[in-house]
Amino acid sequence: MRRFLIVWRRELESSFLSPAAYVIMVIFLALTGWVFLQLVEGHVGEQEPLAELLYKVLIYFWMPVLVTVVTMRLFSEEKRAGTLEPLLTAPVTDVQVVLGKYAGALTFLLAVTAPAVAYPYVLAAMSPGIAGVEDGGMLAGGLFTMLLSAFCVAIGLVMSLLARSQVVSAICCFSGVLLPLLAGYMISLLPLGAESLVAYVTVHDHLLDATRGAVDSRPLVMYATGTVLLIFVAVKMLESRRWR
Amino acid sequence: MIEVENLSKRFGRIRAVDDISFRVASGEIVGFLGPNGAGKTTTLRVLSCFLPADGGTARIAGYDVFHESLEARRCIGYLPENAPLYEDMRVVEYLRYRGRLKGLGFGSLGERIDTVIESCGLKRVRRQLIARLSKGYRQRVGLADALVHEPEVLILDEPTIGLDPNQLRVIRDLIVSLGKRHTILLSSHMLSEIETVCDRVLIINDGRIVASDKPRNLLDRVKGSAYVSIEIQGPAPAVGEALSAMDGIQAVDLVAEGPWLRYRCACDFDADVRPAVFGLAAERGWTLRELHAESRRLEDAFAAMTRRASPAAAGGEG
Repeated sequence: MRRFLIVWRRELESSFLSPAAYVIMVIFLALTGWVFLQLVEGHVGEQEPLAELLYKVLIYFWMPVLVTVVTMRLFSEEKRAGTLEPLLTAPVTDVQVVLGKYAGALTFLLAVTAPAVAYPYVLAAMSPGIAGVEDGGMLAGGLFTMLLSAFCVAIGLVMSLLARSQVVSAICCFSGVLLPLLAGYMISLLPLGAESLVAYVTVHDHLLDATRGAVDSRPLVMYATGTVLLIFVAVKMLESRRWR
Repeated sequence: MIEVENLSKRFGRIRAVDDISFRVASGEIVGFLGPNGAGKTTTLRVLSCFLPADGGTARIAGYDVFHESLEARRCIGYLPENAPLYEDMRVVEYLRYRGRLKGLGFGSLGERIDTVIESCGLKRVRRQLIARLSKGYRQRVGLADALVHEPEVLILDEPTIGLDPNQLRVIRDLIVSLGKRHTILLSSHMLSEIETVCDRVLIINDGRIVASDKPRNLLDRVKGSAYVSIEIQGPAPAVGEALSAMDGIQAVDLVAEGPWLRYRCACDFDADVRPAVFGLAAERGWTLRELHAESRRLEDAFAAMTRRASPAAAGGEG
């Protein structure tokens, strides 16, 4: 446990001590605010919950990019610089290393996105035309977004183990994260009569439920088990140097 | 302290390490010598628990590197080739992180870091970013990292590669001073360094150990010519003829002419011709200014042993 925390802390330090982190944060918050405002203006007079609009921006507009930026260097950079060797010859287990790095990346991602949650409240306070923000929808939507982030960071983790080059792992990660986000739409295009599947895997539907305050356990279980599975795969990939 | 038995490792069809066995006793400094691609780094990586072996066993301080990897790793301080470090950290931050990772408690951490910073000469750069350090300082930071948890065994992969002569001397002195308290296995192609630092030398070639002995004994095992250089004043043809006619001298080479003649003579390996040359000069009334036997160096032993093994290995592959 202690060594997991040490790796986690090192990962966080390396993220927060680089100027790039703050540039990302500023650009992210400014752009998110602007896109969110455009969406709200586009839905004037409708009954869309603000939570839904905000989390749509966070998930569809930002998730692939942010997860890629945060996870692409996790293992690729260590492999390229050769620092994986001192790390793995220290008395830490592969599980501790993978979990520490994963937790570090996820913490950083959540820290970057968290301030955006204030936007609907700020907007409601400043514009009298908006009735208010539903706390239930914000909370459930937030929970869902966190879980989806955990799942996507796990995808990025696996991708960064694939390649030495950050560019390659970035491309793999971007497509890897985009895939589950768009899976629902793709399946409905297939001539397989698989429409019943769509309801289970479509991120959009899950988000709609959540932002209306309905917490459905099925998607939660799906993303949670998916995350665990991907982390397991990442550990095995790191261990695989011992089998070759 | 280090016991290796029948260790093998192959990468695809290439046998990087082929059935090697050796032991390093507690407190010994052993040099691991070999040409590029001989299997030095692979062996050290297996010993440091980074790569598993395909066959055979390796034990560090009694722990099997594969089955009791964590215990073994606690006993090892490992400096990988080129000392890879996190460039975004400061020296002291990096050592603090590595110390914690290696299980040092808060009580002893600060004290250990001060000790290794002192002994590796890092005081001046302790607050600097690693990215801004010169090669020599990086190497020392890597060494400080290897030492920070007071391991019983130090495994150093080319600790002096790419250093200038001054840095080289500093690191070499450091390794010698460490040898008093640690068991050290270090690889290098800097033969002069191994000769002065190590108690024993292992020479590896094509994945096999071709020699294991004290540097001095290795030199004695090399057969071939010894060279004596002579600077003398006398009639050129007569001196050359007289030298060629002497017992034990195989060939005479006139290196420089002028008022002083300079000869380099290839002599039989176990003969010392110097007294006879002096006698000859005295007898003929020639003035002798220099009479000097070139010391045989580890380079020669190394060249002889790795050359001897190569054709056989090449034949085996073909």
